[in-house]
Amino acid sequence: MIDFSVYGEQTPHISGWRCQKCGTLYYPAPMVCKKCDSMRDPTTDKGWEEFDLEGPCTLLTWTRVWNLPEGFNKKFLLFGMVEFGNGLRASGRIEMEGDPKIGMKLTAKTIEADERPGKPVKVFVFS
Amino acid sequence: MAPRVGIVGIGHCRFGNSSDYDLVDVIAYSANAAFKDAGGLALRKEVDQVIVGNMASGLFNRETAVASALVSRMDMEPCPAELVENGPASGASAVKMGYMAIASGMADVVLVAAGEVMRAVTGWEATDIVATMAHKEAEYNMGLTLPGFAGMVTRLYMEKYGLTERDLALVAVKDHANGAKNIYSHVQLPVTIDAIADGPSAGVVNNYVAEPLRMYSTCPVTDGSAALILVNMDSPKAKLFKRKPVRIAGIGSATDTHVVHNREDPLVLKAVKISSDRAYKMAGIGPKDISFAELHDAFVIFELMNSEEVGFFERGKSFLAVRNHETDIDGRLPINPSGGLKAKGHPVGGTGVSQVFELVRQLRGEAEEGRQVKDPKYGMAVNFGGFGNNVITTILAKD
Repeated sequence: MIDFSVYGEQTPHISGWRCQKCGTLYYPAPMVCKKCDSMRDPTTDKGWEEFDLEGPCTLLTWTRVWNLPEGFNKKFLLFGMVEFGNGLRASGRIEMEGDPKIGMKLTAKTIEADERPGKPVKVFVFS
Repeated sequence: MAPRVGIVGIGHCRFGNSSDYDLVDVIAYSANAAFKDAGGLALRKEVDQVIVGNMASGLFNRETAVASALVSRMDMEPCPAELVENGPASGASAVKMGYMAIASGMADVVLVAAGEVMRAVTGWEATDIVATMAHKEAEYNMGLTLPGFAGMVTRLYMEKYGLTERDLALVAVKDHANGAKNIYSHVQLPVTIDAIADGPSAGVVNNYVAEPLRMYSTCPVTDGSAALILVNMDSPKAKLFKRKPVRIAGIGSATDTHVVHNREDPLVLKAVKISSDRAYKMAGIGPKDISFAELHDAFVIFELMNSEEVGFFERGKSFLAVRNHETDIDGRLPINPSGGLKAKGHPVGGTGVSQVFELVRQLRGEAEEGRQVKDPKYGMAVNFGGFGNNVITTILAKD
């Protein structure tokens, strides 16, 4: 029996990248390693390890944006910048009641968002 | 040795809402005004190169190849013409390219013109179009915009250095006082600290845009254009122009990481520091020699951070200088005498040329009463592309 299901692949995720030659971590993906000059071929990713960027993180700063761009039919959205345990940082949305606090522990997950026209995009949500 | 390059003609339209007009006409108006200032429209036939600065006419106006359209609109064929795009620093990049065309020996006279008509779309669309300069996957797709990043950086600055929302309002009050006297400003109304910070209705008048930034911490969405005529001061052609050249003494530019969260410290604007160091070196001067400055203040936090990076104030101390009125028009170092992006407006691709236009007016002594800097020798302009990731610093000198 052939299993055509692709449920696992449909779970949205955002990747971090590790240069296998020198171990330097990146998000988002670079085209060349700043430490050892290794090139990344985005069609094969040979020499680079891709991993899910998610889980515990620390809030570095945040804002509540009231003038959202075209397509966002919400009164406001919270955005933040976080740092993961491996030192990588990311920017994304925050979902919580009230005001976040700098230094608070959050958990990062990925959702698909479709506010803008075109294909849905992957978005970090910190909560 | 490279020839000396000077500015002999300047033109500017009133910034504001020009959405009923075609972008090329808006830019051509300022170009015509620059030729008129230089001695007459017939001088356009002396131009060896046209360089146009614009950020996103394809998105705002569904109009491309603006440089080609401009030369034709102004009856300047077969003059060579190119478009320069560097986000909101497109204007300063166009000035830099104009300087390079003369310094290389390829041209003796260059028309540099820049502009943007952003209000052809809604404010929501304009915010989205400007956000397209952020990193596609890691920033734009998240829904982040330039006000969002400015809000996050402002909060960090407040946490680290003790800046308050009232301090941000003081910058706006100072900029609007200058802008109110500038005939080219988008917003020509002064504001009081009571109206936007201290009074009982301040929270309504000055509502949040991207906390802790409020409306009066943020530039308006603006249409407009400006133009300059650059000449090789050592060429016989320089004598064709009636105005005494204002010399371009230094130009420096630099880049920083595209992704804001990848900067070691998001409060450090490395490209501003490096670009200003390069401009100082080329001009052979330092921060203490600058008489006044036009600093890119799309958000007022940028005026403060820029003034620290270019060496005017210690890191984390610039807002104390604003409290002490040191950056007022009659202070020891006037900043944004034009009103800055905050009050004069920010037609993204046009801003860099507008800043240099202001430097020339001030150095000629032609600014309006009440906002003329006293006896200026050197003027500096800092123009940002992206979120400080592509910056051009220009220094002009009155010889």
